[in-house]
Amino acid sequence: MGNPLLTFWNRRDRREEEEERRARRARLLAAAASANRASETVFLILRRMRAPLIVLIAIFSVSVLGLTLIPGQDAEGRPWDMGFFDAIYVMSYTATTIGFGEIPYPFTYNQRMWVTISIYLTVVGWAYAIGSLLGLLQDRAFRSALALQQFTRRVARLAEPFVLVAGYGRAGELLGHSMDALGRRVVVLDKDSERIDGLDLESYHGDVPGLAADARDPGHLGVAGLDHPCCEAVVALTDDDEANLAVVMTTALLRPDLPVIARATTRVMAERMGVFGSPSVVNPFDLFGDHVQLALRAPASYQLLTWLESGPGAPLPPRGAPPASGRWIVCGYGRLGRELTADLRAEGIDVTVIDPSPHDDVDDVVVAGGFEPGVLEAVALEDAVGFVAGTDNDITNLSLVKAARRANPRLFLTARQNRPSSAPLFAAMELDALLVPTEEIAHEVYAQLSTPLLWRFLRAMPALGDAWAADVVDRLTALCGQHLQALWKVRLTEREAPALTSWLASGEGRLGDLLRNPEDRDEPLHAVPLLLLRGDDATLAPGPDVTLAPGDELLLAGWPAARRALDVTLLVDAVLEYVVTGRRVPSSWLWRKLGRPAPDPEETAPRPPARTPS
Amino acid sequence: MLSSSSVSEEVRVNLEKVVFGFFVLLAATLNFGFFIGDIDRPELHNRYELFAAVVVNLIATVLKFGDRTQIGAVHLATSLVASLQLVAAALMYGYAAYVSTAGMTPGWTASVVSVAGGALLANLVSVVLLVIETVSFHRG
Repeated sequence: MGNPLLTFWNRRDRREEEEERRARRARLLAAAASANRASETVFLILRRMRAPLIVLIAIFSVSVLGLTLIPGQDAEGRPWDMGFFDAIYVMSYTATTIGFGEIPYPFTYNQRMWVTISIYLTVVGWAYAIGSLLGLLQDRAFRSALALQQFTRRVARLAEPFVLVAGYGRAGELLGHSMDALGRRVVVLDKDSERIDGLDLESYHGDVPGLAADARDPGHLGVAGLDHPCCEAVVALTDDDEANLAVVMTTALLRPDLPVIARATTRVMAERMGVFGSPSVVNPFDLFGDHVQLALRAPASYQLLTWLESGPGAPLPPRGAPPASGRWIVCGYGRLGRELTADLRAEGIDVTVIDPSPHDDVDDVVVAGGFEPGVLEAVALEDAVGFVAGTDNDITNLSLVKAARRANPRLFLTARQNRPSSAPLFAAMELDALLVPTEEIAHEVYAQLSTPLLWRFLRAMPALGDAWAADVVDRLTALCGQHLQALWKVRLTEREAPALTSWLASGEGRLGDLLRNPEDRDEPLHAVPLLLLRGDDATLAPGPDVTLAPGDELLLAGWPAARRALDVTLLVDAVLEYVVTGRRVPSSWLWRKLGRPAPDPEETAPRPPARTPS
Repeated sequence: MLSSSSVSEEVRVNLEKVVFGFFVLLAATLNFGFFIGDIDRPELHNRYELFAAVVVNLIATVLKFGDRTQIGAVHLATSLVASLQLVAAALMYGYAAYVSTAGMTPGWTASVVSVAGGALLANLVSVVLLVIETVSFHRG
């Protein structure tokens, strides 16, 4: 039994230590960021303009001084010395090539000679100054300094939660658009300035600040909002695994409280990332292997998974039925081939691998490119059931798929698409399954970021079996049609659902009663509850008889109109009363006072107050 | 050995510092030259000297552009004050000499010279800063 006072002190010390560490991290991050902010553009302009300005001042003052010293004469020929004011006036309009003439009296030859020299001098001075200024505006360093300053200001001004995306390739773009469709903010960092320039041309609803900079530099991440209190997550999607590792590292060391999602294409890199806290690592090839495995076992689960992952507006993907028995042929034993072969063999399927280089770690390998004459015949394509073209070359993949289809038209064909520009060709090929690594990543990251409930649903869903998933798909298509509508979350708390407080406390609030149309309660609301989360317990696709409790969280899919209707039910007492019991209750205070002694019989008569209508 | 090293120290004079010090000091001396003399007697205050003070002050201001250190910022501020006051003095001189019918009266002269005196104060601060910078540089 320890001394309670001692424990108290220990805890206090630990807390102070933690706070100190946090303050130190914030300082380090601020220092890294300020090293980038320091090159302020004003100083850059002033520094570069020093020499031209001094030359201009010197030329101007020498010309003016000369004019005041050279003797002139007035209209009657009397000697007259030009004053400073006249001299400055004459030089000003002469130097700027306006040229009002000889003022106030016609010049003597002596003066004219001096003015001629001055004209050439001052024109050179002006040309030099203006040329330097324009050159500065064109200067690469200056422009990037200006862009950095603008970006910093835009990020600092963000007042709502945002996701920091490092690496704006195809995957980043897809992710950005689906987050934008959800009304979430994104800040983008990419090494390629063309990608960042392209941001302006894309149709985002919100403002997306972008900076062309290397994400490996902690300072750049700091400028992009790593130290911003509103930053809610960091996503590393560059095509360089090491850069992604650097992002994971920086975040883990300087903002350990932020969740990180990183792309990694090898297991080794995923393990290296795992050393830093617990980043969520997304490996597109591993993911595709898992998906194929799921599709083999439960086609409907796979269909539901891909549909929900694609985000609002996505069409229902076809339910493919990959042959679960028979021999598969995998062309290309790279990162994808390796994962896929292992996953297929784990399902007890025979796999023949075709690869140009020999491999010792796998059996049944044919060493060939696949497109040589005779190779496809040699692997006995006629009695195979599945074919995967998984090389990293789109042209090879397309030609392989075409050749395989000619040899055996009944094959289940799968291919990997590497470049977005090849998309129409792969679409025209009408394949049974297509792997697009960037889309795979974007969907996975979207599922993790959009709402934690969706992510939970997708992870728990495969365990419930194929028939269950087919049932959910049928309910969703019956409700929303072939395109996925809105996905949203409802929290049954006092704050977000004030009308429900007493109804929930009664312990008899059933989900089926809540999901009715506020206009006509006999009609169900066009929404399917996908998940009910109570504390740590998740119920998938809860039925209408599930009783609700305060603090429950619901994930719903359905029409945007259903979302608005449900919001009304959650907020307005009278609407809830009608939806649950069928009684029309006046919603204003006065009518409620007047109506309470004698409830209108005509309103309630046609629909007797049934607590649980069928 | 010791003397040779100290000689090489002296040889490594920064030309930029020389030019900078020259203009800062020249701005102060020209300003002082114009300011000195009975305040209301125009014949004691040379207009060419005022012109030179304005030009040299402007050049000194431009020389201080783009220095991001703390002392550099104060330098720039003092120079801006001095330049503004001298330009104001020159404008007043011009008004008295060209626009006003009375010409350079003792009253106008006193005004011009007192404004230039304000600029002199700023220029003196600039010189003090220069000395402080030099001394602290040698200590460091």
